[in-house]
Amino acid sequence: MADDDFDVVIVGSGFAGALIANELAKRGKKVAILEAGDGIPPNINDYMERFYKSSAKVPESPYTPPIFDEPARGSELPRSSDPRKMRAGRPTVLTVSAKDWANPDKSYLVHEQTRDGKKLMPFSSTYDRIAGGTSHWLGTCLRFVPNDFEMKSLYGLSEASFVDWPIGYEDLVEWYGKAEAELGVSADVEDQKYLGVHFPDDYQYPMPAIPESLTDRAIRKALKNLNASETAFLGMETAPTEIPVRNVPAARNSRPYKGRRACAGNTNCIPICPIQAKYDPTITLNEALNHKHVKLMRHTVAREIILGSDLRNVTEIKYTRYSTASNAIVTDTIKAKIFVIAGNPIETARLLLMSENDGLPFEVKTVANRSGMIGKYLMDHPYYVAWGQLPMNGEQVWPYRGPLITSGIGDLCDGRFRDSRAAFRVDIGNEGWNFVIASALDAADPHVTTIDFVNGMDRNLLKAKHAAAGIPGPAPTKALYGPALARTLNQNISRQFRVGFLVEQTPDASNRVTLSRENPDGLGLPRPKISYNLSPYTRRGIAAAHQFKDLLFKHMNATDFTRVADNDPSGFDEQINGKTVRLNFTGAGHIMGTFRMGTNGDNSVVDSYQRCHDHDNLYLVGSGTFPTGATANPTLTLAALALRTADRIAKRV
Amino acid sequence: MSKTIDRTPTPPWPGEINDNHVAGFTRRSVLAGAAATAVITIGADTPAGAQPAESDRVIFAKLSAGLTGVAHAKLAPSADPIDVKEEYFRRVSDPKYAAAFTALLQLTRAANLQIPGGDTDGVIPQDKVDALASKIEERDDIKFLARSIVLMWYLGAWYEPEDLKKIAANPKAEAFPTIISPKAYTQGWLWRVAQAHPMGYSDMQFGYWTRPPAPPAEFIAVVKPQGN
Repeated sequence: MADDDFDVVIVGSGFAGALIANELAKRGKKVAILEAGDGIPPNINDYMERFYKSSAKVPESPYTPPIFDEPARGSELPRSSDPRKMRAGRPTVLTVSAKDWANPDKSYLVHEQTRDGKKLMPFSSTYDRIAGGTSHWLGTCLRFVPNDFEMKSLYGLSEASFVDWPIGYEDLVEWYGKAEAELGVSADVEDQKYLGVHFPDDYQYPMPAIPESLTDRAIRKALKNLNASETAFLGMETAPTEIPVRNVPAARNSRPYKGRRACAGNTNCIPICPIQAKYDPTITLNEALNHKHVKLMRHTVAREIILGSDLRNVTEIKYTRYSTASNAIVTDTIKAKIFVIAGNPIETARLLLMSENDGLPFEVKTVANRSGMIGKYLMDHPYYVAWGQLPMNGEQVWPYRGPLITSGIGDLCDGRFRDSRAAFRVDIGNEGWNFVIASALDAADPHVTTIDFVNGMDRNLLKAKHAAAGIPGPAPTKALYGPALARTLNQNISRQFRVGFLVEQTPDASNRVTLSRENPDGLGLPRPKISYNLSPYTRRGIAAAHQFKDLLFKHMNATDFTRVADNDPSGFDEQINGKTVRLNFTGAGHIMGTFRMGTNGDNSVVDSYQRCHDHDNLYLVGSGTFPTGATANPTLTLAALALRTADRIAKRV
Repeated sequence: MSKTIDRTPTPPWPGEINDNHVAGFTRRSVLAGAAATAVITIGADTPAGAQPAESDRVIFAKLSAGLTGVAHAKLAPSADPIDVKEEYFRRVSDPKYAAAFTALLQLTRAANLQIPGGDTDGVIPQDKVDALASKIEERDDIKFLARSIVLMWYLGAWYEPEDLKKIAANPKAEAFPTIISPKAYTQGWLWRVAQAHPMGYSDMQFGYWTRPPAPPAEFIAVVKPQGN
């Protein structure tokens, strides 16, 4: 196949890129996919070995390049986690830590520290650069609720940053269904009908819902009988006296689907399902690559989108291929009729900003940037995590069993309160205190709880809080051995739980990606520079999440262990009922914004088909096109949009 | 407000004395304290008698069973195709721990731990463990090595004894573990103690998480078949 023979060139092989490649492949199109990182391994054995061996089991831990391994002896290659040397760098959970986030020699993302005299915060969501992209996802496949697409029309008077999407829920219903079939979603239609979410009459999810965990059940019971005066703070139309806990739709098999097994509850969706019961994009990517006209070019970093002399069309993409065995690189170009940029919002914005063209009649002379909006409106779902323990003389919920999350609370995602504060969605974790963000950085639970009892310590404060409540237990510095150790750990761990709150973030122009030319990567290309903070509206959403946590824990009779570490760079103070409360958040990994969709080239970068207003044959896909972020995990919506875009592209070439 | 108190009597924990298991370790702490006042000189344990001396490996397995509260037959089964115990023994046999490890083995020999057999759950009882632990806790180098060994069995991870000493003195200090091997991670006993499985390594089946787990003994002790 000659290099100039492609119908479509796709940059990036994650969710959006893989789905589009496969749709085009099915219709006989010739497609080349440029992937900056490694290709698809023959099986996941190496991923699993690497995960098991990792001392910090962070989302990146199974994938390549390895974040813990030193280069082979005698290799001329640098340590793979050095952001100044990596050819396809990436942020990792370890490098956005309190210790390293502000240090561009450690953190791939270069963070601005202050803006207008105000201290900024770390953007602590991470991503991989590898065939399959976001394979470390949880699998959550929520639809947006209809009002999420009309934030300006409904709530824009009070919160000026909101915009409407150029399309609504009705435009996406068909595509949501197609995405659910492709990814293989398990859920129950009746359970998912709330806040206006609706389905075609005969619609069924591909598989029945994944059953709930014992923690889900404990939380459902706690929220069954509430007093309206207790829930008034939520600002719903009517203060609820019961808040439903619903199953979370997930791309995890509840029975064998498309040749993959049913979930066996390995409690490891993030970072990797050992039996691939959870969908990941390599599944679709492999299907695409089974077509002879589809080609994956790994270790190929797109570095510039080049326009023809008319400036309306892209003619080629300049890329650099690197060797993983040496420092050798080759730079070349690839041509096609249509180009799709399917990187994540940070890398796609970076590529666009690197694509300068002095001939463009724009203020910012970079491709697709008439609006000047590329890189702006970076969003996440700031994730507020709270953790507690059920009474020691009461029921056990036995975490570390089942998928990481089986249920959540979605009914609080929309309501009148959106005039004044951000909405939140609640995740119920099935992994105890494994994901608690104030734990020591040297290890996550169950390590910290175990060490506390083995080594006579109290870093998780279990002993102090039990002593304060008159619950018998070992002295703080007493090391336990034998049956007493085992029983004490069992009794404590089996009552640990955590909840997480996905908070809607306002699209703020000042939260943005630019280029850090002074901090290049291993190919000499500028790394992404991030400027990030939370608006007052978003912070008030976290404050409401905190209040909801207090209500929930009270009704569970749970002891609250939530705390904010002194050195947490995401910590901030908020006034709640006249009291100053220290709050914090972490990244949800839901990177959105940076090339928003809209109705024209002045108010947005792409149209609803994710085609650039400025260039007829250039599509920018993925959650970067989201004008607002809602509270639902973005993957299903970006998959639905990708399938809709693929259909449009297939009709054009 | 929902308040659920589990009124079902809790069955005794494997290896614990029945009358003792609710507020038990408070009393045991007292006993252990009393035992600790009897000065035991390391190296002056009972000389090997008529019986042939047990190998260091055998003693290490008994020590491990005692300190972890997991049945010897589970930690070191007679047919052991997985055999993490050999990896663990080698780890502790590193010359840099030689003095502490030799002393730890001597204390264990002197304690003359018996593996409970017959109709028992196979877990070394708490009083025997406490008697040994009280001696272990007398000397810093021995006690932090013993704790490293417990963490190794529980988490498949090696925490340097020196690091455990450091964080015990200063909880804000850091102790980074090394996962001994992928196999070691998947064999961690903490997960079984919690009636669960290592994250990312489970042989359970779809839907098991909707029901309470099997009793703890099924995970960490010897369970005799019920009935005739």
